[in-house]
Amino acid sequence: MTTRQKTAIAPPAFALNRRAVLGGLLGAAVAPAGARAQTAEVWPQRFAHAFGETVLDRPAARVVSLGYTSHDALLALGVVPLALRYWYGDAPFGVWPWAADLLAGAEPVVLTGESGIETVAALQPDLIIGIGSGISQAEYDVLSQVAPVLMHEADSPIYGMGWDALTRILGRATGKADLAETLIAQTTQAFADARARHPDWQGKTGTAAYHFSGEIGAYAAFDGRSRFLTELGFRLTPAIEAYQGEAFYIPMSPEDLSGLEADVLLWLSGTDTDDDLAALPMRRLLASHAQGREVFAGTLTAAAVSYGSILSLPFALQRLESEIALAADGDAATVVPSSAKAGLAP
Amino acid sequence: MCLAMLFAGAIALTLGAGVQSMSLAAIWGAVVAYDPTDPLHVVLAELRLPRLAAGLIAGTALAVSGSVMQALTRNPLADPGLLGVNAGAAFAVVVGALLMGQNAAWAIAMLAFPGAALAAVAVFLLGGGLSGEPGPIRLTLAGVAVSVLLLSLVNGIVLIRSDALDVYRFWVAGSLAQALQKPLVMLALVTVAGWLLALWLAPLLDTLALGRNLARGLGASPLRVQGGALLAVTLLTGAGVAVAGPIAFVGLIVPPLTRRLTGCHDLRTEVLAAPVVGATVLLLADGVGRLVLAPAEVRVGVMTAIIGGPVFIWIARTLRPGEQR
Repeated sequence: MTTRQKTAIAPPAFALNRRAVLGGLLGAAVAPAGARAQTAEVWPQRFAHAFGETVLDRPAARVVSLGYTSHDALLALGVVPLALRYWYGDAPFGVWPWAADLLAGAEPVVLTGESGIETVAALQPDLIIGIGSGISQAEYDVLSQVAPVLMHEADSPIYGMGWDALTRILGRATGKADLAETLIAQTTQAFADARARHPDWQGKTGTAAYHFSGEIGAYAAFDGRSRFLTELGFRLTPAIEAYQGEAFYIPMSPEDLSGLEADVLLWLSGTDTDDDLAALPMRRLLASHAQGREVFAGTLTAAAVSYGSILSLPFALQRLESEIALAADGDAATVVPSSAKAGLAP
Repeated sequence: MCLAMLFAGAIALTLGAGVQSMSLAAIWGAVVAYDPTDPLHVVLAELRLPRLAAGLIAGTALAVSGSVMQALTRNPLADPGLLGVNAGAAFAVVVGALLMGQNAAWAIAMLAFPGAALAAVAVFLLGGGLSGEPGPIRLTLAGVAVSVLLLSLVNGIVLIRSDALDVYRFWVAGSLAQALQKPLVMLALVTVAGWLLALWLAPLLDTLALGRNLARGLGASPLRVQGGALLAVTLLTGAGVAVAGPIAFVGLIVPPLTRRLTGCHDLRTEVLAAPVVGATVLLLADGVGRLVLAPAEVRVGVMTAIIGGPVFIWIARTLRPGEQR
């Protein structure tokens, strides 16, 4: 059922992404080799990261992607990974609809569970992406004997490197630095356009929230799901901004959900319906609920926000823009369709 | 007396304590003039009262089924999960998450119960229920075999599917939260039925403990008594697991605790007192779990394991040979 829904929803989104990406390729092809190309295309390239420094002598072509979402950025750059890491969901080869077309019929090895060092070695890659994979220094050392390994930057959280920084690094490593800049500019522009269309969003508060099996909370400020809202011009609530913990989420008691209160409350769900969320007693007492400020992101939309990649973010934006607009107006009479469908609307 | 005070204390903790603590006056206010826009009233009526009900049901169910299991298997350290009931519920929950994408509280409760019942029937049949000779050892072996099989399947599924794992790992820790979404009335009725059946069977189980032939001579049919006891365990454990998940240690430590607190030597008195002890232990564990890491909640199954482990060791170390009741 869910698979069918996804396929049914996918085509228009593909079209948008394909156009955007093809546009990017074309743009890169006709762009003259400017000043940036000269600095970017000097080999060997050096990459400083959390586990040390990796040096590449030439652009990588045989790439294994161990990060749970890093394959999106590679596919955007036109590099189909030999193997990629399965995160979750039913998408074929672990590649969700916003990126599926870019596989172009290729069938990468899907790595599930542990990183599978033997499988990786057998593929004889010339680059391994460890960014966002959570591998340890010990695993990094072993994998480095197979091929050069790229890790997250020292000052970035393991799973929280920004989509732009990730795309830029992968562009540099695969000899497509210019294309990476073009793609980054496009996605940045998509957010800038959305901000321009909705000047009323600027300075309003937004909360990205989760509910799973009775566990409720908000995503931390550095998490990509909160950043999705801030890139649209929303600011986070002071309590969430002030949170200093290590975890990317802030748990809350089902007896007191006032910490979620915001001008836009975006629920990110792993399922398309959530009866337990709809039934949460304290949710009904939130002003965000009474004023119709809730947005419900079901499986596909929530995954696009959670992937937080250069491909998934425009996809998420396209699906959520009108919903957020209806929620942000604070008028309970303008019903937010996703929220009504999930049984959340007041 | 001491037990009654502890029981009252556990109920007061469940209703009064939490991230928003509540005075007796506030509780009284919620009773006489309920205001659905007052956060405290909503917390009390829609979170804490259902939680209390869930604690009473699950505490009763797990404690009584533990008593019956220990009498049936003649093992003072037997656990109600021994006959494959928890594994059956786990398997049903995981298959439900995998095939139907179900993770709502009511769906999990409705899946756990038939899963538990089917596993118990399989154990009874494998354990000699068909040939008419279901001795305690055969039943226990069959229970272990069915549990191992079902839990291997569960592990196989959750290794492949992270979404099923997410549903499973939260369910397996056990929780009294989200009680309002569960079919509490039905499960309470099942629990009471199981409890009454256990009370009726208790003297017969005591007779059976004298040995198969002597019991037969005294007019008790071993097959019927064992079948009835298994039915009681299934009803009770099934209801307990459906309400709260497979909570560890309660079914294991409450029966010996009850025997020590009441000094009783017959199963009927034990079964009569076990619900109070069981609910007290479970509600106290849940209350502590809600307070230690507030605002986040520690699941009650984790708390019973932390508290139950040392208590279990103490019981096992002070167990006198020959003492069962």
